[in-house]
Amino acid sequence: MSTAPRPATDRYDVIVAGAGLAGSLVAKQLGDQGWRVLVLEAGTRTLDTWPGTLDAMNTYYAALAKVPNAPYRPNAAAPSPDVIDVQGLPEGGFRSNGYFVQNGALPYSSDYLRATGGSALHWMGLVPRMQPEDFTVRSAYGYGRDWPIGYADLESHYRTAERMMGAAGDAAEQAEAAGTPYPTGYVYPMHPVPPTYLDRVLAARLDGKPVREAPGAEETVLRVVTTPAARNSTPNEQYDAGRGHRPDGAAGLPNYGERCVGNSSCVPICPVQAKYNPLKTQTTWSHRVTLVTHAVVSRVLANGNGHVYGVEYQQYDDPAAPVHTTRTAEADIVVLAAHSIENARLLLASGLANSSDQVGRNLMDHPTLLTWGLLDHPVGPFRGPGSTSGMENFRTGPARRDRAPFRIEIANWGWTWSAGSPGSDVARLLGMGGGSAQPRGKGLFGPRLREELGRHVGRQFTLQFAMEQDAESRNRVTLDPAHRDRLGNLRPVITYDLSDRVKRGIAAAKDVSDQIFGLIGAEDHTSYAPGPFSAGWFRFEGRDFVFQGAGHGAGTHVMGDDPATSVVDQWQRTWDHPTLYAVGCGSMPSMGTANPSLTMAAMTLRSCEQIHRDLTELHRPRTLRSAPALQVAVAIPQQEGQS
Amino acid sequence: MDPAQSAPPPEHTEVPPEYPGFVDISVRLTGFDEFELRGTGMVRLYHDTTVEQVGTQAVSRFIDDLNAAGGDPDGLVDETSRDIARAITHLWYLGVWPQLSRSVHAALGRERANVAFVVSPESYTEGLAWRTFDAHPPGAKAPGHGSWSEPPAGAPAPGALRQTEDAA
Repeated sequence: MSTAPRPATDRYDVIVAGAGLAGSLVAKQLGDQGWRVLVLEAGTRTLDTWPGTLDAMNTYYAALAKVPNAPYRPNAAAPSPDVIDVQGLPEGGFRSNGYFVQNGALPYSSDYLRATGGSALHWMGLVPRMQPEDFTVRSAYGYGRDWPIGYADLESHYRTAERMMGAAGDAAEQAEAAGTPYPTGYVYPMHPVPPTYLDRVLAARLDGKPVREAPGAEETVLRVVTTPAARNSTPNEQYDAGRGHRPDGAAGLPNYGERCVGNSSCVPICPVQAKYNPLKTQTTWSHRVTLVTHAVVSRVLANGNGHVYGVEYQQYDDPAAPVHTTRTAEADIVVLAAHSIENARLLLASGLANSSDQVGRNLMDHPTLLTWGLLDHPVGPFRGPGSTSGMENFRTGPARRDRAPFRIEIANWGWTWSAGSPGSDVARLLGMGGGSAQPRGKGLFGPRLREELGRHVGRQFTLQFAMEQDAESRNRVTLDPAHRDRLGNLRPVITYDLSDRVKRGIAAAKDVSDQIFGLIGAEDHTSYAPGPFSAGWFRFEGRDFVFQGAGHGAGTHVMGDDPATSVVDQWQRTWDHPTLYAVGCGSMPSMGTANPSLTMAAMTLRSCEQIHRDLTELHRPRTLRSAPALQVAVAIPQQEGQS
Repeated sequence: MDPAQSAPPPEHTEVPPEYPGFVDISVRLTGFDEFELRGTGMVRLYHDTTVEQVGTQAVSRFIDDLNAAGGDPDGLVDETSRDIARAITHLWYLGVWPQLSRSVHAALGRERANVAFVVSPESYTEGLAWRTFDAHPPGAKAPGHGSWSEPPAGAPAPGALRQTEDAA
């Protein structure tokens, strides 16, 4: 990586907007192939030094609400949405403050982070693969959108992503329980992260037990299996035909990091960087990659023919008091890798790539239902990663025709997400659970408080049911000139709702949860009522539910095989502008039930191959002596006139 | 309110430990012993925070009330003193000074916002709540690779889990 001074107008082979997971992989691959890459990052780069990491840790420790963005300092020049921007109202409905403007029936309660490393600084790190049927939901199950490519097209890229991100998992177990196809004999780079004690308790009580999501429905036999994770575990000596795997340490402090030591804070920050983050990839960038931070891409530049030749960006010094200088940079290829919502925002603001009218539409997430309870003995919550195992039974199958499929994650951090534990428990036991305006109870003190708190929190567990959300054109990002940020850029206006098939999936998940709670003998404490922390409350067929955002925004520059109905082609290249790519989860036509980062990485690695081919084509000598003039003219892509 | 402050220590004698009165009260409120509380390094900060948040007069009344109750926080009758007891305990358990009850906030005539805040980064990592269930504050004091697979105190060994279920 180089940070040499630049001339007033920069000229590169590739410009990448965004130094998160997708952008870091693009810069890595293309830089290694000899292309000159400019990476423009809207946020700051404090995290890629060790003092920066320590500062983020202290910011996290001192934050009252330990939400995913808590460790990362606010930036007025490149604002990020925050999960606490959305608040539920006492009678249902919600109010939204902050970066997003929301006008939908239900809240989009997911965040992201604009800084080097991006949202993958605070991801959980789970990397299950999508299942083959997830790519054909329209043709196989009659909802959503099909992909123009299939699992087989991505399989080798999944393996590359698993190597680059350092995945730990058990391929044989995934193949059996989730039906994930791997090449014969494939092993993950590292052995699975050891399952939590809670996982082992649930496995002892659930493995082999049949459940039905409804009376008369098909029976499925439960099995608790480890979840692949991009988290340093014990390297598998069988990996890569016996060559093994050497885990990456921490960015900013070489030879530190190594295995997961159980800090129990994967979200929002892994203090030892045992969990993969894109900063690790950035440390291996070629010197041909130039990273410029504090550079907010404000517009993609195209000439009158629609040929994209660069970007305009706003460079600022102080994230607290942004004053900017406008600059431009030019390149043969522009790659937007700024998060699905930011990519859509940039395309809309630039008036590009939208001949299909699909830019910003099909916004998806993994709407998540939480159920929570107490077991009959301590289960060791708040020790180790947030989730190490799950149940794969409901990820596909015939029921998918009627309701959203879902993946069950066993959540190891007590009721922290579902009910704000242990802070809420301390407050309740002290008689302060009702807030400052309510009369307070007497409260417990001394040894009784200590024992009661330990006895209660020590038995807490939560199940997370992550729904596949079908692509719907009404769920969308738009722009409104009335809503701008401090640099004058248009803020995302979000219109979001859940389809009835997602709500049916949520209802089925609750029924499955009830059976699981019965089988494990758990005391159910789940409750869904409107309130400040229940922005996702809704009533469906007479029952109350609350859903959460998963931080898995997708679909907003959807991939397809027809320029009339999709934004990007199978290479994530915009149909309308052959030198403009939009990469990331925004390209996904369907998400399945897998946490999407691994699939995003695989898609991005596949796109890098095409970008390399495009660049090679653009850099070919123009005059071919033996070729007739007419054929040369035909062979040269239209955009070459600009290069 | 604080013996260590009320009289300067005589010369050539051993300096008494900081804020013994505050530590005694904190032991009664939290159920953790003096050794554990002092080991957090938070005694001085929490003492100062309490005085700063509610003022010396209210703290003095709180100490008098607690003494009148025989040192047992359960015996606190006055709602202001009881809310101060809640706040100090909350502080020790979570590192967070909480919102006082609205009526107590008004009764004290506090010239500051009635808001909760984390007193310092260290106060979070020294929170006592995590110790009550044999865990650690997320993001600090990591227990080591794979430690999360082992049973916490009071839980059956993993090997016994399956047999227990089969027998049941």
